[in-house]
Amino acid sequence: MRNTLAIARKELTLYFTTPWAYLVFTAMAFISSFFFIAMLSTFKQVQEMARIYTWDRMPGDYAAYKNLTDGVAVQLWGVVLIVTLFVAPFLSMRLFAEEKRHKTFELLMTAPVRPIEIVLGKYLGGLAVISATLGLTIVYPIILTVFGGSESGSALEWSTVALGYGGLLLWGATCIAIGMFISSLTESQMLAAFLTFAVLLPWMLIKGLAQSADEPFRSIATYVSFDAQLQDMLKGVLDLKALVFFTSIILLSILFTHRAVEAQRWT
Amino acid sequence: MPMIEVQNVTKRYRDRVALDAVTFTVEKGEILGFLGPNGAGKSTMMKILTGFLPPTEGSAKVAGFDVFERPLEAKRNIGYLPETPPLYPEMTVRGYLKFVGRLKGVPRAKLKGEVERVASLTGTADVLDRLILALSKGFKQRVGLSQALLGSPPLLILDEPTEGLDPRQRADVLQLIKGLAGQHTVILSTHILPEVKATCQRVLIIHRGKPVAHDDLAKLADPSRETGLEETFIRLTAA
Ligand SMILES: Nc1ncnc2c1ncn2[C@@H]1O[C@H](COP(=O)(O)OP(=O)(O)OP(=O)(O)O)[C@@H](O)[C@H]1O
Ligand SMILES: [Mg+2]
Repeated sequence: MRNTLAIARKELTLYFTTPWAYLVFTAMAFISSFFFIAMLSTFKQVQEMARIYTWDRMPGDYAAYKNLTDGVAVQLWGVVLIVTLFVAPFLSMRLFAEEKRHKTFELLMTAPVRPIEIVLGKYLGGLAVISATLGLTIVYPIILTVFGGSESGSALEWSTVALGYGGLLLWGATCIAIGMFISSLTESQMLAAFLTFAVLLPWMLIKGLAQSADEPFRSIATYVSFDAQLQDMLKGVLDLKALVFFTSIILLSILFTHRAVEAQRWT
Repeated sequence: MPMIEVQNVTKRYRDRVALDAVTFTVEKGEILGFLGPNGAGKSTMMKILTGFLPPTEGSAKVAGFDVFERPLEAKRNIGYLPETPPLYPEMTVRGYLKFVGRLKGVPRAKLKGEVERVASLTGTADVLDRLILALSKGFKQRVGLSQALLGSPPLLILDEPTEGLDPRQRADVLQLIKGLAGQHTVILSTHILPEVKATCQRVLIIHRGKPVAHDDLAKLADPSRETGLEETFIRLTAA
């Protein structure tokens, strides 16, 4: 435990002495605030229109704009989800690749530490930065609560927002786990980032791509796609199936990383 | 019980044989000079002793523990300086040494003192708060050596510890290693034979993965002649 924490702490130190964490924070803050402002103004326009024509005469797909929760917060989580997919590989890439490049892998492997402690420590460090990245986006629901008003009291339905946020954290944790495994396979950080991205993106899109495919491939693709698994969570529906799905991916990635770390010495 | 027991260790990298049925023991308190031409297998042997590489065949024991069956116990007894000092360029020397100290299980309360102790031994006390990437090669090497000394492990495995040091530093480091004799066992590889003469009592020479000599320094080189060890080395590693 102590070793795991020592490694996690070292990972955090390194994240904040290299520019990557700051670049990722900046990208997340910049992109999410851009979309937040755009979504707010759309929300306002639709509300204006509704005041003139009344909701009954508005097209059905505008129904989401009746409240800030569905009209802004849930949609914003959808954007944050995509940004996470793009930035997480830049956070996970260094976890093992950098150690091998700097020959510090030899230090870790000859210290009185179990390989699983190394893997868990690194994963914990990665989790901490991705949580910090996602943590930045908490300001938006707070802004909405403080400045937004609604007829029904609170501007936001916090349980929905919080569950969606939980889904995001789970998603971030999954990206880092997969990225860590890929990082354990190579010495090149850029290659690790690229491969992670090349795994995450199609996996996210597979549902859409498989719509024209035959059964049973279509159902399988829909089931395993990240997009389909995340949808309910982001909308604030507690989805145990998705929880199990992502937790399994995380555990498997940790297991595979452990295997890869052990196997490294067998060449 | 000897500090190191190597039994029939063979190491193959795919089809290349790096070590060929090597057997030797090192007693507690010895300072062993580990010699051999480039590519002889010195670094490979050290990686096996420290548990980084598994041998293809044979077994290695450190302080009585098989390096692959009881890795944690064996590793607790070892301080290791690899060929390339394993450093994190973006860390400060102090941060780095504290991290390694934690991994080695130095108690929290003693960590600060221990870091300062090894830093003063290796002459890095003045650079403790500098970033490692800003250090010269020699200082990086010394930080690598400091790391190996953390926690005073009974066995030190040093792969070319004086590589990249200036003559004065070289002398200091050798003096430091000499001072460890008795309580510590040291195995050090080097290509600089006068260093061996100045620090080691025992010498192990390997050539193409096989030991060709393992004896007291005095028996391998006539101490009255300046170039005795060089001659022996060249004769044994000819072919
Ligand atoms: N990772 C590797 N893959 C394949 N062959 C290797 C590997 N590491 C070392 N070798 C080979 O094993 C042999 C022994 O190498 P080793 O590094 O142990 O030699 P050395 O005695 O330390 O040499 P030097 O004095 O140059 O440091 C060499 O022939 C080398 O080419
Ligand atoms: Mg070598």
